Amino acid sequence: MNVIEVKHLTKEYQLGALTTIKDSLLNTLKRLQGKPVTERKLFKALEDINFTIEKGEVVGIIGTNGAGKSTLLKHLARITTPTSGEVIVSGSVAPLIEVGAGFVKELTGRENIYLNCSIMGMTRKDIDAKIDSIIEFAELEEFIDTPVKRYSSGMTVRLGFSIATSIDADILIVDEVLAVGDLAFQRKCFDRMEDIIRNKGKTVLLVSHNIRQVDRICSRVIHLKEGRVVLDADASEGCESFYRESNDKITQDAEKGGHSNIQSTGELELIDVKILNNEGNEISEIDSGGPLTARVRFKLLKPFEFLELYVGTHRSDFLYLSVANSKDYLSKDSYEAGEYEIEYCLPSFPLSPGVYSIRFAALTNTGRFVFNGESLKTFFIRAEPGRLMNPAWNILDLKADMRLIG
Amino acid sequence: MLRAVTNIYTYRELIVTLALTDIATRYKQAYLGVVWAILKPLALMLIFTLVRSFVGIDTGDIPYPVMVFAALMPWIFFQESASQGVNSVVAKAALIRKIYFPREVLPLVAMSTKLVELGISVVILVGLMAWYRIAPTATIWWAPLIISYAMIATLVVSLFGSAVNVYYRDMGQALPVMLSLFMYASPVIYPLALVKEKLLEQQAAGEWSNIFYTIYTLNPLAGIIDSFQGCLLRNEVPDISVILPGLLVTLILLPLSYLYFKRAEAYFADVI
Repeated sequence: MNVIEVKHLTKEYQLGALTTIKDSLLNTLKRLQGKPVTERKLFKALEDINFTIEKGEVVGIIGTNGAGKSTLLKHLARITTPTSGEVIVSGSVAPLIEVGAGFVKELTGRENIYLNCSIMGMTRKDIDAKIDSIIEFAELEEFIDTPVKRYSSGMTVRLGFSIATSIDADILIVDEVLAVGDLAFQRKCFDRMEDIIRNKGKTVLLVSHNIRQVDRICSRVIHLKEGRVVLDADASEGCESFYRESNDKITQDAEKGGHSNIQSTGELELIDVKILNNEGNEISEIDSGGPLTARVRFKLLKPFEFLELYVGTHRSDFLYLSVANSKDYLSKDSYEAGEYEIEYCLPSFPLSPGVYSIRFAALTNTGRFVFNGESLKTFFIRAEPGRLMNPAWNILDLKADMRLIG
Repeated sequence: MLRAVTNIYTYRELIVTLALTDIATRYKQAYLGVVWAILKPLALMLIFTLVRSFVGIDTGDIPYPVMVFAALMPWIFFQESASQGVNSVVAKAALIRKIYFPREVLPLVAMSTKLVELGISVVILVGLMAWYRIAPTATIWWAPLIISYAMIATLVVSLFGSAVNVYYRDMGQALPVMLSLFMYASPVIYPLALVKEKLLEQQAAGEWSNIFYTIYTLNPLAGIIDSFQGCLLRNEVPDISVILPGLLVTLILLPLSYLYFKRAEAYFADVI
């Protein structure tokens, strides 16, 4: 049985500011006279979306920022109306689109429970029956008769999550709210979500950037991009499609490159910087954990009796990752004027997928910078399909062993 | 329209909870609490009584303070619930962006809170009537009916006004100003009997007098205030000729106002 049917859903928003009364009166007048009116530009947030969801399905909606995920959820929750097309939802909907949206700060926790539950359509009798379990889950027994304005932010979210998941609706809509509170409470949230999904047979729509979470909870994934459905498939295939899109984004970012950030006295001229593979061909992409070979060519315009050369890597936010100093590797420290090429080799560059850059610096023995450059060459590491993509989870992508002992 | 009524019934608990919340938050940190609710009609009554001692307004054998208080009750109920109703949707913008519920709940809630305040001012009216030794009569049973009529008249204004206010905030600013001027076009400071006497009996505006009188009674508040005073203080059944023009206006505008609200409602979340 279909609980959600979306047919040719299109939603347009007008760009720019709201017109004044004067403008809309003028527009009405022009329309009456049959003259063309000044229209504001339209932006298609959703374009021709079609899908159906059956009872009990758990569907993840994924996509980059601005793909239209939240707009889609707003239609399913009946908060807004399509420009064209149809959204048919049979059954009650509990939107968890931002926990605690309906809190009135002046009221106590208990009063807010009654208020929020009745906004979600619960009767007073139902609320009376559930209020104790809501308070218990939120771990707020002590503070429940204190106004919410005196709550810490963690207490507020806990109460919000507890209320929202207690609503007895047929369809649950969850927009990135699973991770609330401290680690212990997050654990509880996950358990409760899984309980709702697995044991209560509810239809759940989950929007998240955390692909691992989507992969874990959902049976099906709808991948949105620029307001269109790119893919509607089972979870693993959908997540894979999302990885590909993320890689494209990384590629684009790498191609745009960071603007090089160079300070130079003019005594040293940079010619070029290259990343090479084993065959000696120039590349812009390496494997995580694979070797990194960078070559820096430069020209000295005058002789130096002592010169230290540094080559290193940094992240796009200028966190310095690695560096090698010529003093430690080369016996030579005085240079004639002329062209040189220096190679920097790392047998393994075990970083997580993302965009990285090469830096290069030259110092005299007094510590004076002759040359200091960042973002001289940008390269990137692609995500392997199926592997963890959340950049917040790790910086290093180290090979590891894990065993179950006992 | 039928769906409107069932909607209201389904969401009655929400209306009650929101109204109680509104009342609670308004007076929660105020020392005088709900006393503030009756301060406005009391103060206005005193001012009008003072003014009347200079200009002289004939109210027959009923003392002016009671008369004016009985007029102020439905008037302030109408004025305040319309002014608040117009801003009610915008005030709950956060909810509207996040959760669905029929949005007409909000103007209704604004009206319900004012209904409670109206109830509180009944206490004052009873006190005044006892002071001036006016005994209630059987016609008192008309009072709830008249208040229901006032509620409908309020909704005509607040449904339309609150929907417009989402798009143009001018409405929320303009309406309270317009309403306070409108008070002078309603029989609050002076009784309707005076208007009747001037226009119908003395024909003060010449051949236009009867037309002017009908125009005056097109204002629903004219009928509401006069019959409210009548049934409480003068032992009178509402005069149909006074009620009818305003009632017709209200009944014609109510569905239009509601339909406009429902059409605009679909885009509240996008615009608000």
